[in-house]
Amino acid sequence: MNIIIVGSGKVGYTLAQFLSKDGHDITVIDKEPAKIARASETLDVLCVRGNGANARTLLESNVDECDVIIAVTGNDELNMVCCLAAKQLGAKYSIARIRDPEYTDSLTVLQDKLDIDQVINPERATAQEISRLLRFPFAINIESFAHGRVEMVEFKVEKNDPIVGIPLSKLHGRYPRIQFNAVMRSGEAFIPDGGFAIQGGDRLYATGDRESITKFFKNIGKDTQRLRSALMIGGSHIAYYLARGIAGMGVRLRLIEIKKQTCERLSDILDDVMIINADGTDQEVLDSEDVGECGALICLTNRDEENIIAGLYGARKGAKKVIVKVDRLNTTDVMEGLGIESVVSPKLTTANAILRSVRALNDSRNSVVEKVYGMLGGNVEAYEFRALEGAGYLDIPLNKLGIKPGILVSVLVRNQRNIIPFGDDHIEAGDTVILTAKAGTVIKLEDAFSGLEKK
Amino acid sequence: MKIRLTFRLVGYVLLVEAALMLLSLIVALIYHGSEWLAFLQTMLITGLVGGLLTRLKPRNDNLRAREGFAVVALSWIALSFFGALPFFLHRSIPNLIDAFFETASGFTTTGASILTDVEALPNGLLFWRSFTHFVGGMGVLVLSLALIPKMGSRSIYLMRAESPGPSTDKLVPRLGQSAKILYLLYVALTVVMYFCLRLTGVGVFDSLIHCFGTAGTGGFSNYGASVAAFNNPAAENVITFFMFAFGVNFSIYYYVITRNWKGIKANSELKVYFLAMFISSIVIALKLVQEMGYSLPDSLRLSFFQVNTVMSTTGYATCDFDKWPQLCRTIMVALMLCGASAGSTGGGIKWIRVQLLCKSMVREIRKTVHPKSVNIVKLDGRVVDENTLTGVFGFFFAYFAILVIATLVISFDGFSFETNVTAVISALSNIGPGLGVVGPTGNFAGYSDFSTFVLALCMLIGRLEIFPMLMLLAPSAWARY
Repeated sequence: MNIIIVGSGKVGYTLAQFLSKDGHDITVIDKEPAKIARASETLDVLCVRGNGANARTLLESNVDECDVIIAVTGNDELNMVCCLAAKQLGAKYSIARIRDPEYTDSLTVLQDKLDIDQVINPERATAQEISRLLRFPFAINIESFAHGRVEMVEFKVEKNDPIVGIPLSKLHGRYPRIQFNAVMRSGEAFIPDGGFAIQGGDRLYATGDRESITKFFKNIGKDTQRLRSALMIGGSHIAYYLARGIAGMGVRLRLIEIKKQTCERLSDILDDVMIINADGTDQEVLDSEDVGECGALICLTNRDEENIIAGLYGARKGAKKVIVKVDRLNTTDVMEGLGIESVVSPKLTTANAILRSVRALNDSRNSVVEKVYGMLGGNVEAYEFRALEGAGYLDIPLNKLGIKPGILVSVLVRNQRNIIPFGDDHIEAGDTVILTAKAGTVIKLEDAFSGLEKK
Repeated sequence: MKIRLTFRLVGYVLLVEAALMLLSLIVALIYHGSEWLAFLQTMLITGLVGGLLTRLKPRNDNLRAREGFAVVALSWIALSFFGALPFFLHRSIPNLIDAFFETASGFTTTGASILTDVEALPNGLLFWRSFTHFVGGMGVLVLSLALIPKMGSRSIYLMRAESPGPSTDKLVPRLGQSAKILYLLYVALTVVMYFCLRLTGVGVFDSLIHCFGTAGTGGFSNYGASVAAFNNPAAENVITFFMFAFGVNFSIYYYVITRNWKGIKANSELKVYFLAMFISSIVIALKLVQEMGYSLPDSLRLSFFQVNTVMSTTGYATCDFDKWPQLCRTIMVALMLCGASAGSTGGGIKWIRVQLLCKSMVREIRKTVHPKSVNIVKLDGRVVDENTLTGVFGFFFAYFAILVIATLVISFDGFSFETNVTAVISALSNIGPGLGVVGPTGNFAGYSDFSTFVLALCMLIGRLEIFPMLMLLAPSAWARY
């Protein structure tokens, strides 16, 4: 696809790097010569210097032949105007980064009037990522499918968990609404069959609707680790979205913010949060708030260094879950070495979110993949498909379709209800089908069934 | 410098060269020439050396600017050396330095020769000599970029070092794709020219040789009298037209195909290049009518051919412009310095640099009048940043510095000042003929081995636009930290 990226900052550069590797033709627009020079020297992309909202610059970048325009400059208004101008000039799909909460409230109107197809809000996306991590503190990764109807949770199985040693076929009987669709044992990722018995130390993916997943984890005793209280440092936009997002989870929230004014504004809009006006990196303040006892410490100030220092102190004092926001990319390895497991980066989250939607956009042109999610180091992938009217696989029981080895039809979503399919279930038109397969084996839904080819 | 990585890439280029020689081998076999053995031996040697070099395992294959430049500079030296072997092994040119000069002259599309009797060469060697023009015109590294898809995203450095002009713009986002488009345009234009020449009644082999020579803006002919040997005005006009065409920025042709008329309109270099060509030709033609007593059509044909041969830095000849009136000779030398357009296959300083230098001069004058005025240099409606301008000044000075030093060095051989200066200009701008002894009817055979070597280096320096070659001399480029 032809993709124009406006703004070559961290997000724009990362996107250009990955999308160019994916085989797309990328044009990068930026005002600053230094950023243009960096991109043109290190990436195989076309660079245009200029204002991305300027029609002349856009035309010079061949906007009329462009499939996707991605506006990720530091300025919300500029991003909106970029998308508007590009759409008027012939771009087919537009993605804008809009971060100011002022706009997020009226987003639907804005999106509609300005003809923006997708809005990415880095702060809100990060807050969502944090809240997912908080909901299942034991989870390593959580991904949602079918507009949040299906959740896929990766967790580590402990030696004395009640599910250890039981074949999956029996587990299915016990938890009929949960699908175990991928496992990683001693560095090797694969899709387990019915006879597979779980061992301690395995990393397992459990998939199902949110309610069943919660019930499942309660049953196997993971629920004792449920989060009761969380301490946030820094009253940024992320803190605001996070507080709103986990309001109903029954978590006691405290927020430490250094600026009096911000504290007052936040206490006005956030009712259930205890707001403390103090320096969150001051160890005495942290001690007086019992940082060691709190369920989760979330460091969200605007400075990476302060977040890391506060996070390290919290981890040393015994906080169960420490989440640190870091803006600088490529620091995850360093953090793991320091003992901080969960690092969130709004820029990386933004880049990933855009990357995913562009990939889905690309795939849905050729077939009908709505989403691809790489799990367990990318060896196994989960795909979300929409079953199309008139396709050859409709209304045939799955055991007659001849599903190829290494592929698992994990979940069907029909009329907003999840079905964990068995051999006699069938796919209907309009269903959302979630497949798990070895990476790179499936492009179209038809690829999964060998029974079709014979006909 | 990452030496292993650098030499590995040079190895790939040598493999490409060995493969390219296959065509000449076939030509030699078709004409039952004895030189096929020399080609076979050279291919084996080149393939072996290239193969060994590509087996080097670099620790880290991230190309940086300095490796990019070094790969290009070393590749061109290696290409000229290994390309010289067929002449040397066949004993057509028994002196290795002379053979190196001849091949460097081929690859750099200069077209200067040390041969006193070109027609004595067998067809296979004549073909190879001209084919080096064709390959060298668009660039060997660009060819490798088009052929080898995984040279890495940073190979822009390779293309930048090899493509003429102060700035290299890609036509499409992908570098490999850009390289392919450029080569396709290049080959397509050459094929069109081949059929045009055939229509005027030129033979198959002669057409091929002169297509290669014109496309690469080289200038090697298989006749001692060059294009004049055809005695065919129609063929001369075809060659005149295509010499002009190959001296134009190739982006223009891409714009034509994509119907981007705005892009063509905005390109002021094309206008300047055309006007300079047109006005010089008319002035020279009128002067020829006045002083040499030619008829107007004849002198127009001669002046357009000679002006285009010099401006596009090709170096074919249909008459001896050394014998022209002084005004005409001076115009020719001035055009030699300026050369062709950026992004073409021609050499020289390039008109875009001349434009930028003139604009900077105007700016300085304005600054003298209004010392506090802020002036930005603009070209084709866009601001030219100061880095580019500084680069142009540096290039301009380096060009003249090398011109002076090289002239000084070859003066030991005792030729006239005019001969020496134009010989160096002709080498640096990749033209071929100069004035005096090295004029259109002369050759470089009279120079000593040392001077021949210096001139061969000048050609390589000029083709790669000076700095990649000079960088090899900088100790800090080779240092390991």
